[in-house]
Amino acid sequence: MSPPTAATEARPELVTRDAQAPRGPAWVARVRSADHKTVALIYIAASLSLLVMALVQFTLMRVQLIVPDSTIIEPEIFARILSASGVTFAVLFAVPLALGVIGYIVPLQIGARGVALPRLNQLSAWLYIAGAVVLYVSFVYTPGQGGVLGLPPLSSTAFNPDKGVDNWVIGVLLSTAGFVCFAINLIATMRNMRAPGLAWRRMPLFSWAAAVIGWVILVVGPALIAALAMLTIDRHFDGVFFDSAEGGAPLLYEHLVYVFMSGVYAIVVLFAAGVISEILPTMARKPIFSHRAAAGSLVAIGVLTPLAWMQNMYSAPIDLGFTIGTMLVALALMVPIGILVCVWIATLWGGAIRMRTPLFYAAAAFSTIVFGLTGELAYSVIPVGWQLANTTMSQGDTLYVLIGGAVLGGFGALHYWLPKMTGRALGEGIANFALIGMLVGLHMYVLCMGFAGLEGQPVDIFKYPGDTGLSTLNLIASIGAFVSVASALVELGNVAHGYRNGRLVGHDPWGGSTLEWFALSPPPPHNFDAVPDVRSAEPLLDIRDSVRRSTDGVSAPVS
Amino acid sequence: MRRALAPAVIAFVAITSPASALRLSPESPHSPNTSDMETAYWVMIVIAIVLAVVINLGLVAALLRFRERRGRPPARVTAGRGAITRIGVALGVAAVAIFVFGVIQTDSARTVAENGPNGLTAAVSRTAQVGVKDVPSLAEVAAEQETLSQEPEGGSPVFIPKEGDPLEISAIAQQWLWRFEYPGGVPGQRTFSYGTLVVPVDTAVVLNITSTDVIHSWWVPALTGQVQAVPGTVSRTWFRADEEGTYTGQGTVFNGTSFPAMTIHVNVVDSATYQDYVEGLNDDLREAQGIVEAESAEAEAAGGGGAEGDTP
Repeated sequence: MSPPTAATEARPELVTRDAQAPRGPAWVARVRSADHKTVALIYIAASLSLLVMALVQFTLMRVQLIVPDSTIIEPEIFARILSASGVTFAVLFAVPLALGVIGYIVPLQIGARGVALPRLNQLSAWLYIAGAVVLYVSFVYTPGQGGVLGLPPLSSTAFNPDKGVDNWVIGVLLSTAGFVCFAINLIATMRNMRAPGLAWRRMPLFSWAAAVIGWVILVVGPALIAALAMLTIDRHFDGVFFDSAEGGAPLLYEHLVYVFMSGVYAIVVLFAAGVISEILPTMARKPIFSHRAAAGSLVAIGVLTPLAWMQNMYSAPIDLGFTIGTMLVALALMVPIGILVCVWIATLWGGAIRMRTPLFYAAAAFSTIVFGLTGELAYSVIPVGWQLANTTMSQGDTLYVLIGGAVLGGFGALHYWLPKMTGRALGEGIANFALIGMLVGLHMYVLCMGFAGLEGQPVDIFKYPGDTGLSTLNLIASIGAFVSVASALVELGNVAHGYRNGRLVGHDPWGGSTLEWFALSPPPPHNFDAVPDVRSAEPLLDIRDSVRRSTDGVSAPVS
Repeated sequence: MRRALAPAVIAFVAITSPASALRLSPESPHSPNTSDMETAYWVMIVIAIVLAVVINLGLVAALLRFRERRGRPPARVTAGRGAITRIGVALGVAAVAIFVFGVIQTDSARTVAENGPNGLTAAVSRTAQVGVKDVPSLAEVAAEQETLSQEPEGGSPVFIPKEGDPLEISAIAQQWLWRFEYPGGVPGQRTFSYGTLVVPVDTAVVLNITSTDVIHSWWVPALTGQVQAVPGTVSRTWFRADEEGTYTGQGTVFNGTSFPAMTIHVNVVDSATYQDYVEGLNDDLREAQGIVEAESAEAEAAGGGGAEGDTP
């Protein structure tokens, strides 16, 4: 049990302390580096930049909807903003932010000195960035206006001959291909490079979530790549995959794109669940209530959510048997999500909770996701879905989950783990202030748009008539949206400031129980000089205990 | 400041929740199928709100009660055997109960009801499956159009479905307009209108919905749920309007730049007015046909060999 003897020998070939410093400017070294930590930081930085893009687009769309029959933005311009905003938020921000945090933390959590396929990992980041660049290059000429999902026939050359749609399609395809590369490396790393003794039953829950996310991407990513490849063939090589006049099936694209979008939804939920499952026990100084149940729930969510993709297609012409089956799968999600919720509350119960910013963000993410998921529970019942799918009401619940998971969960993860990445803590006062702003704005927005959805406001419209009572609701919703966006920008500024100028903290500022806190902050290129033997799900507690015992009451140096 | 927070939150909730509850009701249903949807909505929204509130209260209670205090170490408890299983079983039972409820409501909402006393026909009860219709081959479509466009022999000039049959109307979407095709019509033509659908009150109407270009969607909240109009496929839905009046709706699937302009108006009138309306449409058609025939005859007489347009 004592760390000095239990630790494995340092593998000299991997120790990089004395390695030559790379020559040339720092950014060249960063671009060329295949170190998982550098790659992950590129992921995080790029995804946060794209969050700014998504926030700007969201603001523009809300400005348009403040007044009825608005003519502030031209319909074509609105359609272009709309088409870019959906993928910017979901594909170019939410997923890569999750992958960035995973790419940094998971190798550390499993006690690996690197990743299995570092060059593939590096390629994945650059494919993702290439995809974002390809999509945004179209803003120089004509951006695509094929809608949020790019559904054919609307996105076919007959209805959208502009090159911008091709940028959209190729951009999303490249990014998704990057995510698939990332997932391959992640799964290979987690299967092969765990510290001695780190069995799956002792795997930290964030790593469990990461493993499930890897498999989800591996399943849903190729579905979208196939759909986009078929769309490209249709657009430029006389394909008829989605041309009903030639026997093609437009619904096929809808199925595939919803398989992917459900996967994105699952990724965001799993990422947030992993973050919450790490932060709550650490901050409450208590072990997770049931590691087994939580891990099992994560797996179940990863399996069931993409399987319920047709939940978004109750109104499409699909045989009843399939939609009924989908409803069953969607309702079955109640079980793992409910168990997870009980485990989290039971983890807090009886703890000694430190009221610090990571906890606030984790609790806010938890609360917001619960609002969203209980709403989704209602829409997963077919007759309710028939009325309210694709209205601003169900969109509000989707936003609860995506914003709660990716934005609040993401900032929570950054507050918790940025000290590991930089050795510096992020500012807490301004972050708490921004969190309140984000929550108030988000609830204002979702609540008002929920009422508007009940009065029949569909998603994606650029105007609504003035005589329907929607104007007050949209006005308040827009104000809420602006409050939320401004707070998110403040918090982004806080992250940017804290990354370079934050207060210096030690290697283990939270007293964490998982292996990443065993490494230095920031970790050296080889992560660990010595990898400890793992004997439980909380290896650092064991190490602290044994240090305390061996030093006979003298305070432990590790914590 | 922290102490002031809790009363402030409670006051905010107390003020906003009654106002919210009033706004929570959906558009009032005017058809048996939307009544079923409304029932499902109320049951599910109450379950959702109760769950969300209970979980959030639990979270807040745990956070407030177990704040770090001097001299109170954290308990190191974890789940005993069976605790999680019990929760899982309870949740599973709840999920199955909701599923059964959902299936019952779905089936009920899909079953085409019989016509009411003021309906177009006094019909006997009949259940029909509504949902996907197989993609009709072109020959089938042509044959169907042929039969539908036969002028009823000696009977009413307006097509009236046989006893017990619902009135079947086609709704065909295109960017950014709906075309409605009524059964019957003058030979060689189908009776149609654009933009506004006129239907008789108290009559079961089955809509065959399709599209000629991109994917659209049909949604008139008071009468039907959402149905996608997919090119090459016929989706079906139905309603039986219980009150005369105009009902509006809008698609929910983005279909191009003029998406919000593509509104739907359903005008529910009494049976006599409906028959007059359709007959009016037929008269217009006949008139138009007459003009075209006269023109082409003229063109033929002039020997121009009218290349444009076929003679009907």
